[in-house]
Amino acid sequence: MWLWYDWRAAAVADGNGNIVDEEIWDGNYHQHAIIERLQIIAKGGMIKEAKVLAERFPEATVLLHGEEQLPDADWPFPDDEAQASADTAAIAMSKLGVAMAAGDPDKRLEYLVRASDEMRTAHLTMEARLVEWVVLFLPDARFGADRSALGNTVADSDDLEMLAKKLAVESPPVGPSKSEWKALREFGEGVSTFRGRLDRLENAVRTLATEHLPSNSMLIGPLLAARLCVEAHGRMRFARLPSGTVQVLGAEKAFFNHLKTGAPPPKHGHIFMHPWVSRSPKWIRGKISRTLASKISIAAKIDAFEGTPWTEADVELVEIRIEEIRNNFPTPQSRLQR
Amino acid sequence: MSKKNRSRKEDLSWAVRKDGRALWSINANPRSSVYGESLRRFSGVEYRRWDPSRSKLGAAIIRTKRNPALLLPLAGETILYLGAGHGTSISHLHDHLCGHDNHQGGRLVCVDLAPRCLRDLTHLADSRPGLIPVLGDARKFSAWGVLMPRKVKWLFQDVSQAGQVEIFIKAANRFLADDGIGLLSLKAASERWTGDDEAQVFANVEIALEQAGLTVEESIDLAGFEDNHMLFAVRKPSNN
Repeated sequence: MWLWYDWRAAAVADGNGNIVDEEIWDGNYHQHAIIERLQIIAKGGMIKEAKVLAERFPEATVLLHGEEQLPDADWPFPDDEAQASADTAAIAMSKLGVAMAAGDPDKRLEYLVRASDEMRTAHLTMEARLVEWVVLFLPDARFGADRSALGNTVADSDDLEMLAKKLAVESPPVGPSKSEWKALREFGEGVSTFRGRLDRLENAVRTLATEHLPSNSMLIGPLLAARLCVEAHGRMRFARLPSGTVQVLGAEKAFFNHLKTGAPPPKHGHIFMHPWVSRSPKWIRGKISRTLASKISIAAKIDAFEGTPWTEADVELVEIRIEEIRNNFPTPQSRLQR
Repeated sequence: MSKKNRSRKEDLSWAVRKDGRALWSINANPRSSVYGESLRRFSGVEYRRWDPSRSKLGAAIIRTKRNPALLLPLAGETILYLGAGHGTSISHLHDHLCGHDNHQGGRLVCVDLAPRCLRDLTHLADSRPGLIPVLGDARKFSAWGVLMPRKVKWLFQDVSQAGQVEIFIKAANRFLADDGIGLLSLKAASERWTGDDEAQVFANVEIALEQAGLTVEESIDLAGFEDNHMLFAVRKPSNN
């Protein structure tokens, strides 16, 4: 005995395909009711009519429409009107799915990280342009560490002469026209507002990363945790990556070059950004990267499967281990000692 | 009349016209362009240009060595499209299967995993009745299979995933009717690297399809439009 069902009806047939009994939904085919039934099926559940028949025919094998083992029978498929209603419901479900996608923290984190990268690139480009532009009119101007303040300085100046005074240089023989100066000044304003925007973006990344990746944020900081998660295409995939991959995420060019030409493989990718790696002597960076990457992988699994997040105490244990490595190798190994 | 140039125009269907290397379909939604394609009127009817560099189905129609009409489903039928993408090929299929206000009575069930693509498909569905976009995994038939009560005569798959051949074979078993046509767009780079060159990869796919009981009617190389891609046109033989 075979029990077939779809979103609207259920039926029981014998081995020869003769329909023995059927139950068809006789309620109002409202959109929300159809959507509910489609969702039940999508989750692997049974509709009401199928449960009724299952009770009546406990020995029947229950199979969803389309399963291979079902015999050919005159199953009660939906008529054109019912099908049209189901199609409309399916479209509504798709729209719902699209709207819910905004709730996916992986996607949101990705957009935040990419936006902040793009804004940083734009900011650096514009800042460089501003410097060139000012130096065009004021060739003697020099900027050391106060390059980043230039935007503000330009924005606060009413004209080129005032800017020259602020920068402690002489006014030039040739100056910009009125509209040119206006443009230059507004450009400077733009550069200085970018600073604030970048900071706000990074704060948003920090907040979301601390919530979405608590263990890794504790271990390597929310910004780096976010970057690794985004490069890994999501928290779950991040958790499943081998730690060797985590170690070189961000060094793809070097890695594939190594595969192609036999050049030495990269020791670290984005992980390099962490002071434990970048501030260590060159000959231990590889060891530390490896250790750190494996700890990151563990933390990623805790985050993805929502276990008890790491605390500062757990991170300290890792730090102790890193210190051990540093102490074990105070000098570079000679290559001849083998 | 006989001295006039040989017209390379051929109507592949009521809505699809091939003119040398150019492909056009009658716009089911006049005065709107779906992906920036040009619109043009021929004898008072507005056609949309089917860009073969954006649509693998379009590329296959241009490149096929057989009658191109063999690659199209019949107007007014129900079809299944796995890996619908942003709706480029689908919009032209809709022009042909449904037409304005779906006067042909066609039905396109289009499945894709990416919400970003579904966003575009659901917008398309607003102005093209007969188009049913589904946010789902092409591999998980049980989640959306109830939308296909009967088997279809035409199946298209373009998922560019590892295991795409197995997915296609399973889908053909489940959804393709006897004597139906299945089109598999295959990206060589998506297949697991085993050291074979591209030609061997494609040859292996043909073998797998034949072993699954599907008759490979043509393997169309899309190079020039979509490099390293091959489109396999198969037919499911009717059981006697």
